[in-house]
Amino acid sequence: MSGYGEELRIIKRKDLFTLMSRFLTDREVIAPIKGHGGEVIFYPIESIEDVAWDWTYVNTVLPPKRFFLPQTEELFYYKKSAQGMEITPTYDDRVRMIFGIRPCDVNALVFLDRFFGGGPIGRKTSDMEMKSFQDNYYAIRRANTFIIAFGCHQPGENCFCVCCDAGPFLKENFDLQLTQMGDDEYIVEVGSARGLKIVYGHEDLFRSATEAEEKELIRIMDEAILKFKDTRAYLSKAIQKITLDQVPDALWENLSIRCQDCGGCSYVCPTCCCYNVVDVPINENEGMRVRTWDSCAFAGFTKMAGGDNPRSEKKDRLKRRFFHKLSYHYIERNGRHGCVGCGRCITTCFANISMPAVVEKIRKGVTS
Amino acid sequence: MKDLYVPDIAVIDDIIEETGDVSTFTIRFKDEQLKEDFDYKPGQFVEVSIFGFGEIPISITSTPSRPGFLELNVKNVGLVSGALHKLFRGSEIGVRGPFGNGFPYEKAFGKNLLFVAGGIGLAPLRSLINYALDYRDRFAEFTILYGARTPSDLDFRRELDQWAKRRDVKLLVTVDRGDEHWEGNVGVVTTLFPEADMTSEKTIAFVCGPPIMIPFVIRDLLEIGFSDEAIISTLERHMKCGVGKCGHCCVGDKYMCQDGPVFSYKEMKEMSEEA
Repeated sequence: MSGYGEELRIIKRKDLFTLMSRFLTDREVIAPIKGHGGEVIFYPIESIEDVAWDWTYVNTVLPPKRFFLPQTEELFYYKKSAQGMEITPTYDDRVRMIFGIRPCDVNALVFLDRFFGGGPIGRKTSDMEMKSFQDNYYAIRRANTFIIAFGCHQPGENCFCVCCDAGPFLKENFDLQLTQMGDDEYIVEVGSARGLKIVYGHEDLFRSATEAEEKELIRIMDEAILKFKDTRAYLSKAIQKITLDQVPDALWENLSIRCQDCGGCSYVCPTCCCYNVVDVPINENEGMRVRTWDSCAFAGFTKMAGGDNPRSEKKDRLKRRFFHKLSYHYIERNGRHGCVGCGRCITTCFANISMPAVVEKIRKGVTS
Repeated sequence: MKDLYVPDIAVIDDIIEETGDVSTFTIRFKDEQLKEDFDYKPGQFVEVSIFGFGEIPISITSTPSRPGFLELNVKNVGLVSGALHKLFRGSEIGVRGPFGNGFPYEKAFGKNLLFVAGGIGLAPLRSLINYALDYRDRFAEFTILYGARTPSDLDFRRELDQWAKRRDVKLLVTVDRGDEHWEGNVGVVTTLFPEADMTSEKTIAFVCGPPIMIPFVIRDLLEIGFSDEAIISTLERHMKCGVGKCGHCCVGDKYMCQDGPVFSYKEMKEMSEEA
């Protein structure tokens, strides 16, 4: 059952509290907490009391990508000395644990792993060359972060991970995956050697699952899929039409009337990872090079120094976004399409230019 | 392991003012080993850092056949290029690269070379021109057509004079608008085509210039009989990282910084987004 071929465990809710308290002593623990407005977000916690234990949320307002690709991140520090310019890369190599991450967000990390882990993208290269194109800043954070995922027995209102092969449960790519069973217990799947070490290292908190409990997990998983509003893999038609350039321009034109260029779709998307790079000087002799999230929705995204802007029109930028997410060209490069069905763009875009909304229009061939 | 985003330090050795707003910077890496090892292909570019201002992609205008230093021909147009123009001999800058695919000059071995350049578009072509001149016997006829807005906008003036003197190179220069001293051709670069008396047979055309120039040049080359594969040009896009990650330079599914910026006209036509 478990992705790592290890037998299932059971942990009681109060023992999970204890486990987390133990982790808090030696690493940063990131968990879902309730923000001031009542929304649930991932945040480093100081005590287990901070965690949004009631699980009324399914997914957080923002994806956890900022813990791997921060919205603003220092790449290096430069300083002019008597010997000349000295550059010090600033890696974040803290050991961290992300607790309560959902399968869609884990699959988004797997997408980013492939994108930031290698290259030059799209070309067949030796392992050595692949390695030479690794983004160390992302890779180091990722390697040092434990993934304690929560399977989704109850989808949220906007969830469509089942259509994107990204949930509601993980088969791999986690250290531990927990699934709620009843009010008081969690079924624990071990997904890695690191995960196994946790289970062995805290044996007092886990017990082996019974055969009945193993069957119960299968029942929960099967039942969860039936709870989704729409379980048809309806991206495939849109992928085909976008790849073959069969989407009428009128659709992008009509959508562009509503799009506000806010970039919210990119910021809440767990797989969007375009970035800008700027220097932030402290004074004449020292400063930082910093990268920040960017969005292909922004008018200045493709503007060049001379003033030329190949994607100055909003309709071209919208087309670009969906081409990047869904065209077969990019599926080939990235190993999968760029949507994990988390539904955040539905919640965020007040013009309703979300992935499912646009995909449906493309599929039906309508232009407004 | 070397980091993708951390530049190496190079020192500006020389600055030549080519026009009112274009200068050629000769730079050398501080690291002796790197100075020797740094290899590139004509048409590739480097990411140049002016610390405190940022980083920009600049094509390498020197040729790998003359190693030990790099030359960068830069127009003062933006924040970073403006900051570069304020530097002096001995100033330190950051360099990452080389990036991009470079010109497929192997395709032209044994064939005629035609270069069509406009304005600062001569900078990347100059790398290939000098490379091909250093291996002159690998190529047949050698034609360079160059156009600039005015006589004072002509880039690499001294080198143009040298090329003009060579018997094995045909160089034709034109300006959009002449001045009181100009006795040469007046008109856009395509007006040189009849005088150049060139053939499309066994010829590879390398075209580089402002976005407005390229379609006209390609149209006329096609008219002469060039095939789509025999026309090689470059696409210009806003770039940040140079390593296919930041997402700015994509045209369709191609990353200009890695898959490009050099493409044949055939490849450009096949792109999934209008180039």
